[in-house]
Amino acid sequence: MSEPIIRKIKTFDQKHWIKENLSYKKDSGSWAWIYHRVSGIALIGYIFLHLYSLSPLTKGEIAFNQKMAVYSSPFFMIVEWFLFAFVLFHSLNGVRIVIVDWADGAKYHKQLYKFAWIAGIILFITMGFIMFSHEILKIFK
Amino acid sequence: MFKFNSSKESGSRSWILQRITGVALVVLMIGHYILMHYQPESGHTYGAVLVRMQFSWYRIIDLTFVTLGLYHGLNGIWGIFRDYNMKPWLNLTVISLLIIIGIAFLMWGYTIIFSIPYLGKTI
Repeated sequence: MSEPIIRKIKTFDQKHWIKENLSYKKDSGSWAWIYHRVSGIALIGYIFLHLYSLSPLTKGEIAFNQKMAVYSSPFFMIVEWFLFAFVLFHSLNGVRIVIVDWADGAKYHKQLYKFAWIAGIILFITMGFIMFSHEILKIFK
Repeated sequence: MFKFNSSKESGSRSWILQRITGVALVVLMIGHYILMHYQPESGHTYGAVLVRMQFSWYRIIDLTFVTLGLYHGLNGIWGIFRDYNMKPWLNLTVISLLIIIGIAFLMWGYTIIFSIPYLGKTI
């Protein structure tokens, strides 16, 4: 008779919660949770900024077009592109969460996570090409 | 069990609404991105916005989008706060602030959409 394996139950040290959280072994699910939270906070912040940036619509054509000229600069385009990365992660991981909750996805959530990353990277590069196509095509002309 | 929470709800309504609005936002977001970035002018000039806003259904979509986006985002923030065992007074302060912020930004968004004039005949 082999002895049963006795695992010591690890308790969570409330006083050193930062250290506990950092040393916790993170698999794909933990990372998905962290990234989902960070991207979510970033996106709600962006909604506020987006409303602010569209508010010149109330002041008419000249005010709006002046503001939009600023937002169409290469710097803002690159920022917008990386914003899309946040949108992509949050959307694809959000779909993954819905599948886990409603379609027995807990059995294959790790594959879903990988799929989300692959689809996300492909869509990110595609969007980069769509957004910067005018600039990219100029190089080859 | 819920002795220390000021809310007596289990949070299941909030959970299911977060799922439903999330799925709706993914669909709306795809349309939004195609429209705004397939042609750079469509999202970045007043003329293009003015033309689009002549269609009432487009305004309805935008109103839905901003409402769902703000709800989903602020409900998400509320969900993060609920992860921490807050004292009842703090709980009440946070939810009140989130509701006030939500209503304020929602009104701002609606104001922006309704400020764009209809030119003559409406569709």
